Amino acid sequence: MKSAIYGFRSIVAKEWLHIQRDSTTLVFALIVPLLQLILFGYAIDFNVKHVPAAVVNMDGSPASLNYLRQLENTQYLDVVGSLSTPQEAEEALRRNTVQVAIIIPPDFGQRFNTNRPPEVKVLEDGSDSQISAAASYAFLTKPSKSQPGAVDARINVLFNPQARTQIFTIPGLVCVLLQLTTVSLTSFSLVREREQGTLEQLMVSPVGRLGLMLGKVTPYLVLGMTEMAAILFMGWLIFNVSVAGSLILLMVLAVPFVLAALSLGLFISTVAQSQAQAMQMTMLTTMPSILLSGYIVPRETLPGPLYLVSDVLPVTHFIGICRGIVVRGATLPDILPHLYSLLVITLVLITASTLRFQKSVG
Amino acid sequence: MLAIEIKGLTKRFGDFTAVDSIRFDVPKGSIFGFLGPNGSGKTTCIRMLCGLLEPTAGTATVNGFDIIRQPEEIKRTIGYLNQAFSLYRDLTVEENLNFFGGIYGLKGERLNRRRAEVIDLVGLGSYLQRRSGQLSGGWKQRLALAASLIHEPELVFLDEPTAGIDPVARRELWDLLFDLAGQGKTLFVTTHYMDEAERCNEIAYIYLSRLMVHGTPAELKVLPAVTPTGTKRVAVASSHPAQALSLLKRQGFALDATLVEAEIHLLMPVDVIDSEVIDALHNAGMPDASVRPMDPSLEDVFVTLTRSLANR
Repeated sequence: MKSAIYGFRSIVAKEWLHIQRDSTTLVFALIVPLLQLILFGYAIDFNVKHVPAAVVNMDGSPASLNYLRQLENTQYLDVVGSLSTPQEAEEALRRNTVQVAIIIPPDFGQRFNTNRPPEVKVLEDGSDSQISAAASYAFLTKPSKSQPGAVDARINVLFNPQARTQIFTIPGLVCVLLQLTTVSLTSFSLVREREQGTLEQLMVSPVGRLGLMLGKVTPYLVLGMTEMAAILFMGWLIFNVSVAGSLILLMVLAVPFVLAALSLGLFISTVAQSQAQAMQMTMLTTMPSILLSGYIVPRETLPGPLYLVSDVLPVTHFIGICRGIVVRGATLPDILPHLYSLLVITLVLITASTLRFQKSVG
Repeated sequence: MLAIEIKGLTKRFGDFTAVDSIRFDVPKGSIFGFLGPNGSGKTTCIRMLCGLLEPTAGTATVNGFDIIRQPEEIKRTIGYLNQAFSLYRDLTVEENLNFFGGIYGLKGERLNRRRAEVIDLVGLGSYLQRRSGQLSGGWKQRLALAASLIHEPELVFLDEPTAGIDPVARRELWDLLFDLAGQGKTLFVTTHYMDEAERCNEIAYIYLSRLMVHGTPAELKVLPAVTPTGTKRVAVASSHPAQALSLLKRQGFALDATLVEAEIHLLMPVDVIDSEVIDALHNAGMPDASVRPMDPSLEDVFVTLTRSLANR
């Protein structure tokens, strides 16, 4: 019995030294789960409120303004703008600037409090079924039948009118899977070279830093794009999710996304000192990519600081692009802000990686 | 002609001075030994010479290029062989050579010719399709040497090229280095092996970030500091060398004693005559001892210099 555990104490002491020497691992092992628990426990609120809405008020009577105020008081809706025509409202939904449009007819004030209650037309974006469901609550709770001043709200769900979950989840899943794969593809690349000593050999050669960075990203871009096409195809084949907008546009915009994700991996590679650390850091990007990107939880529910975190993730913007094109049939002008964000992320990460890399070799 | 000209090279990391005002020249076509204990600043110095690290003060030229202003030109004209095998283990011998040729801008006919030449030089012909990770230690170093030579560098830095390879492979690698020097290449070699140091045309020894001595092995051995005035070096042969060593170390006249190949290298005052040494051993039951005068070995040189500095 004694011989079986011989040396136990020495091993414990030695391992404890290893742990003390490698504090990075310790930090990741202990603190990160705590941070993530706090972060996501706080962030994940399936109770969607304050959905941005636009109003087309063709009446303008005190009764109509009062009605809108009552809608806002439900907390489910925030009126963020007013438009002049129903066409503009539909356009705004497609551009994803608002997710609900309330169209108040010219005879609203006239018919209010009569036995022929006014009919209000409501347009909802069905591409995120949680959001459209939440928005609908605003119209259900107001006002009860016994009260005077009833309003007949006719809800019309645009895009994905059957509220099929897959229409909502598959485009998001495509993006999340693609980011996870691409980030891990590059995150090991530089660290592996550092560990094997080949990095030093490269540094004494005329290979430029940017050349090295881009040279590492390019082959994986091809892999990433192939993966993208394969996932989309499977989504169509198995879940019957087809692209409402332009497939070509979607593929073209996937390029900056994959580049941004690869750059994120590359950046991790310049920070991590070992492959194990690179792995941990890659895992660190995984949870936010799933929970903060709008994939599962609508970004509208995120508190301010986390909304900013989600803005930094490439996947957030590609989910915006992907849902836009696949579900709402969005065109390029509708999703330009997301494209710009992806380009900025890529540029910043490639620059940061190149600069960091210089430091890490010296 | 000089391959390397080092002028007061200094590198500080915060409060720590890793390389302190080092100054020496390396002639073209020589095998230059760069020696010193671990942590004495050798690697930092080489990194500066390769253009990887900017000096804090001083400067140097490598192949006529300034290390601060022309690091890219330097990188094109030097080869670098690391002590750790630093090629791609998952690539074959041929793929590794193609890659390293490629990053130095070799392609097409020129790449094929150079690849054939370096393969021929190191004798890797029958391993072309072998994954480099599956080669034995000696062959790995030959491949690494081939890769570091593929772009025809004038000067090759070899950082402990023979660490951890067997004696036969070590000898063969040195034979290759002599061939290269014969072709006019400059070899800048770091090593901890004294027999390798003896093979160098010139040696620089650094200790505690400073250059201690620089010269040919013969010049270093006659330095006054190595055999201080009033002392002499003798080799003592005995059939019981280990016992003889511990006995001699206890004698008042032994300033330094160490065992090398069954002989005791002894540093003692000039006025101690050989018979005193023989008598001491004889009295201890070792009658077959003999004494002959000797020159210091390079090991004696470095040990003496290092100790005298450490004691200061």
